Amino acid sequence: MQNHLVSFIRLLRSHDVRVSPAETLDAMDVAAVLGYAGRERLRDGLASALAKTPAEEAVFQHCFERFFDRELADFASTREEREAPQDEQLATLEPGPGEKPEASGRASPDDSLLDAAATEDAGLQALLDSDLLRQLRDNDRNALNLAMGEAAAGVGLSQIQMFTQKGQYLRRMLDAMGEEQVRRVIADLERRQSPALEPLKRYRDILREQVRDYVARQYLLQAEGDNARFMDDILSTTRLSNLEHRYLQRVQELVRRMARKLAERHARKRRMFRRGRLDMGKTLRRGIANDGVMFNTYWRRVRKDKPQLLAICDVSGSVAAYAKFLLLFLYSLQDVLPRVRSFAFSSHLGEASELFIQHPVEKAIELVNWRYGGATDYGSSLQDFARLALDDINSNTTVIILGDARNNNGDPRLDILRSIYQRSRRVIWLNPESRRAWGTGDSEMLRYQSACHFAAECNNLVQLERVVDQLLKLNR
Amino acid sequence: MHTQDFPQLASIEVIEQGFESFGYICSPKIATAVFLAFQLRKPILVEGPPGVGKTELAKTTAALLDVPLIRLQCYEGLDEAKALYEWKYGKQLLYTQVLKEKLGDLLQGAQGLAESVERLHQFGDIFYSEQFLEPRPLLKAMQQERGAILLIDEVDKSDYEFESLLLEILSDYQVSIPEIGTVKASVSPMVFLTSNNTRDISDALKRRCLHLYIPFPSVELEERIVLSRVPDIDQQLRHQLVAFVHSLRDLDLKKTPAISETIDWARSLLLLHARELDPEIVHSTLNVLLKFEDDIDTANAGLQDLLARRTA
Repeated sequence: MQNHLVSFIRLLRSHDVRVSPAETLDAMDVAAVLGYAGRERLRDGLASALAKTPAEEAVFQHCFERFFDRELADFASTREEREAPQDEQLATLEPGPGEKPEASGRASPDDSLLDAAATEDAGLQALLDSDLLRQLRDNDRNALNLAMGEAAAGVGLSQIQMFTQKGQYLRRMLDAMGEEQVRRVIADLERRQSPALEPLKRYRDILREQVRDYVARQYLLQAEGDNARFMDDILSTTRLSNLEHRYLQRVQELVRRMARKLAERHARKRRMFRRGRLDMGKTLRRGIANDGVMFNTYWRRVRKDKPQLLAICDVSGSVAAYAKFLLLFLYSLQDVLPRVRSFAFSSHLGEASELFIQHPVEKAIELVNWRYGGATDYGSSLQDFARLALDDINSNTTVIILGDARNNNGDPRLDILRSIYQRSRRVIWLNPESRRAWGTGDSEMLRYQSACHFAAECNNLVQLERVVDQLLKLNR
Repeated sequence: MHTQDFPQLASIEVIEQGFESFGYICSPKIATAVFLAFQLRKPILVEGPPGVGKTELAKTTAALLDVPLIRLQCYEGLDEAKALYEWKYGKQLLYTQVLKEKLGDLLQGAQGLAESVERLHQFGDIFYSEQFLEPRPLLKAMQQERGAILLIDEVDKSDYEFESLLLEILSDYQVSIPEIGTVKASVSPMVFLTSNNTRDISDALKRRCLHLYIPFPSVELEERIVLSRVPDIDQQLRHQLVAFVHSLRDLDLKKTPAISETIDWARSLLLLHARELDPEIVHSTLNVLLKFEDDIDTANAGLQDLLARRTA
């Protein structure tokens, strides 16, 4: 049972419930104290040791139900439909204490056919004597379940990752359970046209069905969580332009999670530095009145600077594929950081902060695209920006520009960016193009870069997260 | 605390009955968590919306076991001087003044500075010893002879640094005092931590605790709770008011009414000799249940509907 508990915990982990080794030990203790008799009780107890948030508890409940509910379908019913009378059915289901499993009470024609054939056939006799066939014939579900569990452990079924592996694992499971012997005997019986062929085939089919179901269940349990995580990993390192639209929902969730993580990490730091340091000079000076005894302490207050963030996003055709994600990112940023103003531009520039506040994300992105989309003109856009916001830029302002710096050979108006550069705390340029492409063709990136404190390539979520993390550190 | 000393916690059923005798009706889940915490000697982190009886659980356990309840209310800026221990500075100062005169006698006949210092060394650190230690709740809980219930209330209100301070206490039931050494609890206290989820508790702390989430109770459970707290109330009315509160919880409110408010309301209705819920009496007593003007407006707007649903 301990093994079961460990594999249950592995299952929880694959569903993003974080369980430490210490908590695993706690769970064992819990199981030891409560025992395995009361299912509800065990569930509540294990939940208190393993699931530490309401969300995790929901996942726990779901997994617990699935994992510890491995009732096998009652395959005796197929036999029941045939001739076996009801009461005899019960007898075979629950063999009495004195009754041997191979009790003579079983008298259905199928079985008698098998038994009759076995007297002449040593191979069949050996097969009927095997544990596997006895379990099948006795409808001994517990034993069969146990055997499947053992076989599963033997072939490493819990490592199953892809649904394409199901067939392979099914075969290995059957081999481990000794189905080969059944096949051999069936082939033999076929050759001799024996009447025992049909019943034996039926048992084989039942077995296969059971094992197939078992593998399918295990796949669902094990692979579900892993696959979701696998997907997240892939999505966060794929170039944003290559992501298909149907993954947008998922990416949004990732971005939001990222934003929350960053917010948490940085909110904590801010609080830590609030009090400031002891102002020794002042404390000494004020102490003079008290004969040099420093009664009161004075603290140097931390200057509360209010960082301001201005974000400018290119939504023109050349970066259309990225624009969606950049806007999505801007939207999340506005959630995380206070005092963010967002601007969007292609040929001219306008403020999008209001749109972001008023509308849900999809709608806002659509509106921004519709309102500001078109051919790129960095020159006039910078001019617009200067008109709208240059007066607000001071030494606490960070300006982020998201764009590919491809200006259709127009005037880049570097002078405006330079004046922004001189006034602001920092200018950050995030370019979706790879560094190698900077400065090629109509890209003005190299020139603009000279008026940036920091320019970086940014075309997937991991890079985005790194940049924002840095940004928040600087912003403190 | 030792298992054999407290038959009140011998099994989950016994705990449930014990709690009930003290007027605390609990779900099997709560009883299981308390049982496990006691058996495994682990702290319980109790989470849930305000007013579902998180603090009450600790109080009731203390009453059931008849051991002292030591409560530490957390708030922002709580530090070890208020939570763990402090030196009695005033006493130390006073003693140094008093003992100044003794110094002459002690040092009589000492040759030179070195010998004087040597003599003083023989007395050890008298001013940093147990006599000058002012125990605060956490240390106090360690020192109880029969064990104690330590309630660390609203741990989410404290700072992150304070959480780290708790780690040593929660995992080993000991406190390190640099000047003295490690103080280990002779009888480990039973620890309840409560949290309202205003921020996430660190993983390190969560890992050391059993986790118990108390949601709003089901209708049946809440009726039993009201019955045990306000036994005089008419059964019909009790049924009605619990159903009404449950339908209120489905509304979009700033602050959802909790069990404590249900009980308060039941008491108010009893005082007003109400026989059944009619719009008038609900309207005039709604401020017992709801604490925001907006919420009261929202509820009043749908009052007819809510009452109709209750009778349906």
